[in-house]
Amino acid sequence: MEFGWTPEQEEHRARVKTLLAKELPENWDEIAVHGPGSDAQTAFSKIFCKRLADEGLLISHWPKEYGGNDMSVWDQFIMGEELWAAGEPRGPQYMNVNWIGPVLMRYANEAQKAKYFPQIAEGSVIWCQGFSEPSAGSDLASLRTKAEKVEGGYVVNGAKVWTSYAGLATHCFLLARTSSAGKGAIVILLLDMSSPGVQVKQIPALIGEGDIHEVFFTDVFVPAENLLGEEGQAWEIITFALQNERIGIPRYAFSRRILDRAAAKLQADGRFNDPIIRDRAGRALAMCEAARLMVYRVVHQRATQAPQDAYGNLARWAIVQADHAVNDFMTEFMPEGLLGDDQMQIAHHQRAIAAGIASGAAEIQLNLAARRYLDLPGEPRRAV
Amino acid sequence: MSHAVQFDLSEDQSAILGGLEQLIGTLNIEAPKDPVVSAYSQPLDDELTTGGFFEITQSEGFGLLDGALIVEALAKLPVSVEAAASILIAPSFLEDAGRRPVALVSGSAAAPARFLPMAKTLLVDKGDDVLRIDIPEGAVEDVETLFAYPYGRLKNPGALPAVSLGAGRVAELRRRWRMAIAVEAAGLMQSALDTVLEHVKTRQQFGRPIGSFQAVQHRLVMAAEQGQATRWLALRAAWSDSEADAAIAATYAQDATPKFCNDLHQFCGAMGLTLEFPLHHWTYRLRALLGEMGGSSGSALAAADAVWAGKVP
Ligand SMILES: Cc1cc2nc3c(=O)[nH]c(=O)nc-3n(C[C@H](O)[C@H](O)[C@H](O)COP(=O)(O)OP(=O)(O)OC[C@H]3O[C@@H](n4cnc5c(N)ncnc54)[C@H](O)[C@@H]3O)c2cc1C
Repeated sequence: MEFGWTPEQEEHRARVKTLLAKELPENWDEIAVHGPGSDAQTAFSKIFCKRLADEGLLISHWPKEYGGNDMSVWDQFIMGEELWAAGEPRGPQYMNVNWIGPVLMRYANEAQKAKYFPQIAEGSVIWCQGFSEPSAGSDLASLRTKAEKVEGGYVVNGAKVWTSYAGLATHCFLLARTSSAGKGAIVILLLDMSSPGVQVKQIPALIGEGDIHEVFFTDVFVPAENLLGEEGQAWEIITFALQNERIGIPRYAFSRRILDRAAAKLQADGRFNDPIIRDRAGRALAMCEAARLMVYRVVHQRATQAPQDAYGNLARWAIVQADHAVNDFMTEFMPEGLLGDDQMQIAHHQRAIAAGIASGAAEIQLNLAARRYLDLPGEPRRAV
Repeated sequence: MSHAVQFDLSEDQSAILGGLEQLIGTLNIEAPKDPVVSAYSQPLDDELTTGGFFEITQSEGFGLLDGALIVEALAKLPVSVEAAASILIAPSFLEDAGRRPVALVSGSAAAPARFLPMAKTLLVDKGDDVLRIDIPEGAVEDVETLFAYPYGRLKNPGALPAVSLGAGRVAELRRRWRMAIAVEAAGLMQSALDTVLEHVKTRQQFGRPIGSFQAVQHRLVMAAEQGQATRWLALRAAWSDSEADAAIAATYAQDATPKFCNDLHQFCGAMGLTLEFPLHHWTYRLRALLGEMGGSSGSALAAADAVWAGKVP
């Protein structure tokens, strides 16, 4: 049992930091404030991801056969920590490399791989995740968007909501159903967002410009070759995708970075001698470090290829606690940051308030952990 | 020391913990049948001494992390034994590490302390000095308490000679003490949770196990998460022996303790308030640890100072 880094891992982290110091523009705080899905950050992600690709870092954790470099799970995670803590200059493209790619590797056919991987690898495409619907949030399997089978493919009608990055997305990982018959009737379609009949509407929200959208589908034709996996296989694929998504974002790293900044600021302002402030900062710090180690435990499982258990659900709870602890501390003791003084604090606030909802509500994580980690009996008629 | 994140036990660690489990197995340790608030196991103490477990950190190839794993495992038992201070603190503070059990107090040597009734050494954190006091036979009176450790107080603290170890040792004592609190809390939390899980899976109300109610499940998962996070933070603190890691681990454990204990008792109903039900052995040790080293605020201040120190004007 050990809790440190190898010299190679330290070197890797330093390399990512150096790259960030070099590539992030001076007005990065202003770009980052609007979130990964904003126009400004998406535009920057296209430059930054190309640079990452040039450095061999964009998809380096992918296997060699898919253009990657077989980088270790830990190295990928170290890079994720540094990039997310810096405000995620990959913009929406973190999704491509974190979970879209791995899902395609496992379930796409050769033609699909040949089509999508080179685009992801060069850092030029934006994928969005078309899962949630107005009446299907936590209860994802109740989704209603229809995919009617026609000659040569499917015709899609329906609506998605909360779709991050849809405004600028080139592709959508879309869930729809061919009939009303439960999970088995769900299909996954790899949709070209420029298809006729797709309409995207931004939703004004507390969490920043360009993040969440409604997407409407009116008689959208999707060719059969864009079906991912077999019909009937979708739920298995979705489960795999969500496993990769749920702790894919090292949120605690951004929280810790923001807390360090807050401490420095409070010191500069002569306020850090106040024991109440130091007490509360110390508690928030403990929450960040707790989340870090809970997540590391999950990464360790991945790195050692141990079977995934419900530890990821426990870790998600820890992550939410850490985001909230740091955000609550700053909102209480540094409200001036939210009054326009600190763009990064605003960015953190907007990520933190969504932490317990995006990627599945925190209560769903608790439900799953109760069943799978504590082995508690199910509640009669409980949905999850 | 090689560096990598590695959550699995090493072969040596597995072997040591296996040996400990075997030793505990031979003693047939069960929760006390009599309604007692605390039970010290002298037979276990004797066996651990014979087995050399208190000297683990001094053995070739072993260190604090291995000691911490032993402390954690012992904390899971319904009976108590003084191990944390003996293993994690005594080796660098006692001339003769055999003069254990070791009791710890902050401020005044007259304050009640855990394990003082059987202690041979008392270490006092005076803030600007660490005092070491040898405890002769008959110098201690028992203190009655619900805290599930034996507590005692010196009858005449002024009469006992104290060795001053100097201001330079205060930080080290506090670091190790916080580490000890967190490591012990991790073991206590695990057994408390296991006890309550068993209860909520078997106790039926409204025609179903109370553990099937979502209101109960969610808070139990939160408790499980707190137990796990305490564990990793505590073991990291033992691995690094750093001031920041020890203070962070203690902050987390002490911050979590009130809700953790309140919830776990809540789910056991009136049964959880009895001495017959073993839960109190762990929750009242947790509650005892909550009040040490300045409590969660004391640890949080220490964490803030350790991490952001030097920068404070
Ligand atoms: C910033 C952000 C980005 C998002 N991006 C995307 C995206 O790109 N693509 C996408 O498809 N979706 C996205 N989502 C949607 C997200 O997946 C859903 O919001 C989430 O699954 C919860 O669904 P809901 O909002 O409909 O809440 P509901 O399902 O209506 O739940 C509301 C609340 O009810 C409680 N609750 C619900 N069910 C249970 C239960 N079984 N037990 C206990 N409590 C329960 C929980 O407290 C929950 O928070 C995003 C959401 C956010 C906030």
